[in-house]
Amino acid sequence: MYQIHLFKDPRHFQILFQSSFLIYGVVFLHWSSPLWIYAAYFITGIVMHTICEAGFTTKQFPVFSSRWWTKWWMGMPSALISSYGLCLFLKTDMPEVAIAASAIAILSKYIIRINGKHLFNPSALGIVLAVLWSGKAWINPGQWGSGAFLLAGILTVGIIVVTKVQKLDVSLAFLGTYAILLFSRQALYLNWPLDFFTQTISTGAVLVFSFFMISDPKTTPNHPVARILWAMMVASIAFYMTSFRYIVGAPVFALVLSQMTVPLFDQLFRGTNFQWKYFTASTLKPAMP
Amino acid sequence: MKKKIIRIVCLLFISPMLFSFCGIYVSKSDGTLKNKASQVILVRDGEQTVVTMYNDFKGNPKDFAMVVPVPVLLQRKDIRVVSPTIFQKLNAYSSPRLVEYYDENPCYGRQWEDKESLNEKSIMVTSANSNPVAKKKNLGVTVEAQYLVGEYDILILSAKESSGLKTWLLENGYKIPSKAEEVLEPYIKSNLKFFVAKVNAKQAGKIQKGSFLSPLQISFSSPKFILPIRLGMANGDGDQDLIIYSFTRQGRIESVNYRNVEMPSGNNIPLFVKDNFDRFYGETFAHKWEQEGKNIALLEYAWNVSPINNVKCDPCVGNPPVDQDIVQAGVWWLNNSNPQSNQHTFFTRLHVRYNRNSFPQDLQFQVTPNQTSFQARYVVTHPAEGDLTCDEGKVYLRELKGKRRKELHNLVSLTGSTVEDYLSNTEPDSDNGIAYQTLLPEVEQEKESERTIFPGLALMAVVLVTGAGLMRWKGLI
Repeated sequence: MYQIHLFKDPRHFQILFQSSFLIYGVVFLHWSSPLWIYAAYFITGIVMHTICEAGFTTKQFPVFSSRWWTKWWMGMPSALISSYGLCLFLKTDMPEVAIAASAIAILSKYIIRINGKHLFNPSALGIVLAVLWSGKAWINPGQWGSGAFLLAGILTVGIIVVTKVQKLDVSLAFLGTYAILLFSRQALYLNWPLDFFTQTISTGAVLVFSFFMISDPKTTPNHPVARILWAMMVASIAFYMTSFRYIVGAPVFALVLSQMTVPLFDQLFRGTNFQWKYFTASTLKPAMP
Repeated sequence: MKKKIIRIVCLLFISPMLFSFCGIYVSKSDGTLKNKASQVILVRDGEQTVVTMYNDFKGNPKDFAMVVPVPVLLQRKDIRVVSPTIFQKLNAYSSPRLVEYYDENPCYGRQWEDKESLNEKSIMVTSANSNPVAKKKNLGVTVEAQYLVGEYDILILSAKESSGLKTWLLENGYKIPSKAEEVLEPYIKSNLKFFVAKVNAKQAGKIQKGSFLSPLQISFSSPKFILPIRLGMANGDGDQDLIIYSFTRQGRIESVNYRNVEMPSGNNIPLFVKDNFDRFYGETFAHKWEQEGKNIALLEYAWNVSPINNVKCDPCVGNPPVDQDIVQAGVWWLNNSNPQSNQHTFFTRLHVRYNRNSFPQDLQFQVTPNQTSFQARYVVTHPAEGDLTCDEGKVYLRELKGKRRKELHNLVSLTGSTVEDYLSNTEPDSDNGIAYQTLLPEVEQEKESERTIFPGLALMAVVLVTGAGLMRWKGLI
């Protein structure tokens, strides 16, 4: 009915790659979560997206008009990406926690907005609230295992995706800073053998986080310099949390904390808001009325 | 039409090859003291941790000494000895199990039989006199505390540099492995203290020859939730086994820096495996471990053992541990007489087989709210006996053939070995065309892929190439 510009939107690639990671995890790494949890994330994500699109629509897009459906469809990749983010990180054995996390993730995009941008990465916020608030969910960075192959694979995939969305700046600034800090502490100061450090940095969780979560252009500062400084800040907080506070899944917590400072960075460094390259609400029209 | 539990054989996976603690043993003599295996109980709630260590020390006991890095300076009240029976009870309770079902004859009524057997071996640890005198010297090593606990002399050391600690141990008559120094350094820099235990000379005299050395239990509060296996690799050669029993208030514990994998469970396996269950499980474990890439923690058991939960296993192998056992294991919150207090207790058993190459880091854990029960459990089925010439009997025999083929297939895929190895030790069973030997040629002895990680990577590569191709096609790159 509507023209679907498949693979013209970089988010489609992101979905493709995230699906492959999910398949890899479930089929080959034998993640033990029941499959309903993934269904819960996706169904809630899509339903919540529809509700929010209807609830927060403007006069320009009357509910269920063809323009509204177009806008609904345009927003769908983001909703799916958020659901994938939850699938890849958040573990729980309670359906209500999974549903709440997914609903909060999507809802936060519409409710917590500053300067026309949503403040939090939806899946990161969903994860953090589910872990801290419900106490019935958890993150396990160990679920990915670690290894050079995985490192190479995710790096390449990540680079392709991210270059199509924006420059690699945020991902590399985060990963570089995080790696340097960990290397300094683990290998140089504590004097662990090198494979100790390699295991920390090549875990799938850090890499998926770097290329598929922190890189979300909507929730990073607009100005390139600000983005790099901000990513370094996230890395430093994550390093502190993981090395001195022994917090599991520290990067996600560091991200949510740091995102509160994004408006400040935007204030200090003036830039332009990010728009998804191929679809914007005002330019895309349905192929058929 | 069938269904009938009957016999449960517990595999007590304690063989002389397995178990001991993950610190290093330091020896006064040049004799080879190796630790190949250990058992440890971890109790954790918030930052409060109780660790109970049990080892299968096999060298000359008068030279026994153990070094364990600990995160805080332990007080006398934080250290005690407990009875080794708690380890035997926990092991018996949570070991991988074999369940026997008996098919009933579809031509007759039901037949029930109930048996239970518990096959128990125990660990022998011998001990004798030894009391090397600790000396203070200016090597940057401080004896922070010295206690007599049970039959042990305990020293808590802190050190400024690894070479000093190494020299101190050498000067005090301990032979330590040359590689220990490089792993001691990161621990010293991380501000860890060193818990050194050896058998007290006077107490040693009272110990009966052939009796057990008591497990040591320490408690402390620390945000770190780790087991220092790296030190154990300094003089451990090859693969070492570690069984971790854990109690928490919330749910299962998981490794956060290695992958957690559940053992295969619930599989139907051929009847003849019953006589070789130890071997079957050993091979299944080893096969799974290799398939998954070795650097994993395998889950063997998980269950809610709270006082209010009456079903502590299904089916049970022997008696589940009673509250006193659990308190002895270090679960302090059950010791509270106030019935209002939260006495929820969840038990997890993990099995880790580690070596230097696959495990560059210490085991790091977290307590999760996951309360899903799990047990490594395998099923054998006795065929129906008697006359099976009725119509239902013929259908039954046909179905049985299919099931037995599947069982043989399961055996091959679980253990990675061939059926012949098992069959050679067993008598051919009565034939109705259903004997395993008869079915054997029909079963494909397909070799499973050695590791599942490669197909996974292949999948990712395909996605990658497809994605890149599509992008190029669309002119995006």
